[in-house]
Amino acid sequence: MRRPGRVTLLVLWLAALALLGVFVVKHLTVSTDLRSFMPAPTTPDQRLLMEQVGEGPGSRLLLLAIAGKSDEQLANLSQQLSAALRKDARYSQVLNGSFDIGELDDALLPYRYLLSPTLDHQRLDAAYLRDQLEQRLDDLSSPAASLLKGLLPRDPTLEVLKLAERWSPPKSPEVVQGVWFSPEHEALLLVLTRAPGFDPDAQADAIDGIHRAFDALPDHAGASVVVSGPGYFSVVANAQTRGQAEWIGRISTVGFIVLLLLAYRSIGSLLFSALPIASAALAGIAALIALFPQVHGITLAFGFTLLGVAQEYPIRVLSHRRADESAVQSVRDLWPLLLTAIASACIAYLAFFASGVNGLRQLAVFTVTGLLVAGFSTRYLLPYLLPTRVHDVAGMGWLVRARRIVDHLPRPRWIPALVAVATVLMLAFAQGLFWQNDLSALTPLPRDLLMRDARLREALGAPDVRYLLVLQAADAQGVLALSERMEPALDALVARHAVDAVELPSRYLPSEAVQRARQQALPARPALDAALEQAEQGMPFQPGLFKPFVDDVQKARELPLLTPQRFASSPLGQRLSGMLAQRDGHWLGLGTLSGVHDVDALQALARDSGGAVRLLDLKSAAESLVVDYRTRILHALLGATVLLVVAIVVALRSFRRAWHVLAPMTLATFLVLAVERVAGVEVSLFHLVALILAAGLGLHYALFFERDTGDAAEQRRTLHATLVCVLSALLVFGMLAWSTIPVLRAIGLTVSLGVAFHFCLSILMAPHARQD
Amino acid sequence: MLSLCANASAPEDAATTRALVASLGRPAPARTPFAEARFMKMLDKPLVVSGQLAWLGEDRLERSVEHPNREVSTIANGEVTQQREGRSTRSFSLKRAPQLQLLLDSFVALLGGDASRLEQAFVVEHHADGGGHWTLTLTPRDAKLAQTVSRIDIDGSGNEPHCMRMQEADGDVAIDLLGAYAAKMPDAPTRDALASLCGGG
Repeated sequence: MRRPGRVTLLVLWLAALALLGVFVVKHLTVSTDLRSFMPAPTTPDQRLLMEQVGEGPGSRLLLLAIAGKSDEQLANLSQQLSAALRKDARYSQVLNGSFDIGELDDALLPYRYLLSPTLDHQRLDAAYLRDQLEQRLDDLSSPAASLLKGLLPRDPTLEVLKLAERWSPPKSPEVVQGVWFSPEHEALLLVLTRAPGFDPDAQADAIDGIHRAFDALPDHAGASVVVSGPGYFSVVANAQTRGQAEWIGRISTVGFIVLLLLAYRSIGSLLFSALPIASAALAGIAALIALFPQVHGITLAFGFTLLGVAQEYPIRVLSHRRADESAVQSVRDLWPLLLTAIASACIAYLAFFASGVNGLRQLAVFTVTGLLVAGFSTRYLLPYLLPTRVHDVAGMGWLVRARRIVDHLPRPRWIPALVAVATVLMLAFAQGLFWQNDLSALTPLPRDLLMRDARLREALGAPDVRYLLVLQAADAQGVLALSERMEPALDALVARHAVDAVELPSRYLPSEAVQRARQQALPARPALDAALEQAEQGMPFQPGLFKPFVDDVQKARELPLLTPQRFASSPLGQRLSGMLAQRDGHWLGLGTLSGVHDVDALQALARDSGGAVRLLDLKSAAESLVVDYRTRILHALLGATVLLVVAIVVALRSFRRAWHVLAPMTLATFLVLAVERVAGVEVSLFHLVALILAAGLGLHYALFFERDTGDAAEQRRTLHATLVCVLSALLVFGMLAWSTIPVLRAIGLTVSLGVAFHFCLSILMAPHARQD
Repeated sequence: MLSLCANASAPEDAATTRALVASLGRPAPARTPFAEARFMKMLDKPLVVSGQLAWLGEDRLERSVEHPNREVSTIANGEVTQQREGRSTRSFSLKRAPQLQLLLDSFVALLGGDASRLEQAFVVEHHADGGGHWTLTLTPRDAKLAQTVSRIDIDGSGNEPHCMRMQEADGDVAIDLLGAYAAKMPDAPTRDALASLCGGG
């Protein structure tokens, strides 16, 4: 193509990329909710797990500790911080140990007679009131007088304090200066975020809000606040992974550019060969935007990694050019093979689509679109831009020598058999578990963070994140009633130290039946007035002092019963909402457990309930989810493999040739697995993804090495292209293998090993080389 | 503010106040009998209790009531703990009972003979008559505390405090007779009777 035509093409291509870029920037919404990378749950436990992982109270709980000053100053900071956070819409509950009557707003205050258990075993008669009033007189002459004086006319039986006691966390930390303190003299707070626990961005925002609120306190200098909890961990893990990935990415990008400059000695070629990849990435994102409402951050991160395969297409074109040949002509020659390579990589990545996991489907859409765009733009656009005259790599002295060495490698027929036997032996005798089912093992947190979390959790009596008690009934009232019936049995378990504390929904809201019974036990005004008058006989209370009390009792007699919906307007009601959920025509209540010591006792309790109560082990539910997940991916891979074999056989029109391509690829894939197993690596989902990527690369090597051109120069070009591809892949993924983060290491190590094995086996098992 | 100026303009007075407070100091633990009458708006007659007050050193105070019902309250580490016969223990933060905070501040400062601590928490005024009777008037410096307790008057003679009157902002008042005076609590005390008793009568 002539110069003006080339310029026009370049301008048009860049303009198209710019338009695509603008579209992407305008419409891309990135989600960070890790749950879209988990498979759709199938069992009720798994479904509950998915909700709990994101929205359960356990996962939204942040533990805060303020340290660094005197107890008194820390207590002040704790009060100020909780006051500031309570005003912030990002937090649905803030607890610091001081009970705030404001939690029960004025309109709800008369409900105290329906919420407190007092009326279950007492009537508001003269004898009870007399006893209460005598106690109040003692209170008034005691140091507590100033505390209670204001409450007395409205609440002489102190129901508000009884509720405060009932609603404070079951196993409270020590209270010093009115707020919770740890044994290490830190002021402790519990903050429930509105944002789901495993949405790292939203959690980062919530945690940032806490630090900002703290830094805005007038006396914060010298003190510090530390945050812990699942949400914080997701933020740390996210930042760690992102930080290392970026750092490694920068180094390998520089290395990659240097490598290509050394290989082709042309800045122009380098810049032009970046165009198909840039087009692939932008087109991939645009396809995601068109098909999905939100694009997951991990899709993009993994997607760019997997697109690494596409870098091969321009590299092949650059390496295979002859000095006397136009780029268009050399691409035409290569195209059948390149098309086979593109199609087979697309088939492999389609396996992700069949997995049924939303995040992986996005990954498939992104990579398949990207590969197709990269491939077709390499075929139909790139050659017209490349410089007309190039340096033919086939003439390079080192390459001639390298090809000679490769050609003269001994290739005994028993090598594949030996490798296969060794692989089988290694897989058979490897120690340890084959599969890694614990997802959290892949994003490990620094030990000190985990220890701090355990310490704060212990000090705060915060609920266990592993076990949940699930109560099931036909409706919300049924759940509350069931929860009430379970209370005695669970109290017995607490007394036996099977569990430190249990928090059931009925702790916050009694069922309507219980409320009704309490309401009916409330005396009418004349009866209460008479009882009060009798009780006050000979006591110094001013006449009419308790009129607000009598009024509240009358109000309570006529109140509509408190439902979860009505209760939801108050902070405590929101706490309850987190413990009640509607599911497939029935209702579930969630009881949180703190300090589980005897799982068997809890399981026995669940068994005796006849199915109404279950003990949910979130850890085993999560593991079963991972196993399901893997099974789906393996099935999808099996399907993809069959498709791949068919595609290669059809493309090469020969079983024998297909065998020469597929055998080294298959063998190398299992060899990677075997070596990792012997090294004690437990195979996770990320290893599987990485194996697929490596297999895709290996397939390309095998396809090109298998190509019998009968032309020594072309063979040298093939070696050159493959070497550039192998070195660039080793550079990028070898860097990742040094990462301290297991997810990155899993991908880096697997792909690096894979690339090395695929390369060696493709060379050693290439058919025609033996015939030379 | 006015009293501050008055103190500053009469340095001898400040010095005698210091000398007086220093002379009140006792080694911990120091115990004294007390009888308290509390006049409250919501009651038509005062509440009277009696027992022992003890300073256990540092910021620890124990108030044991013997009449009419036994009850022991302890203030320590910013927490108030109340134990009553046949009832479960109740405890709450000192922060939620500002009167107690002031009682603690004044009591500990007096029994410790610590004038500077007293002046830290209160504006101190000192009046003395010729007959050896004196009155210390303490006004809380903390504006928030002053919203609940407007002032504390302590009457005494020589190095013995006799009376402590805590005037609450809502009009309620608690009058404690201390030491030998504790025995002088009338059967049906009135504010005036106690005021004249404390006034050296």
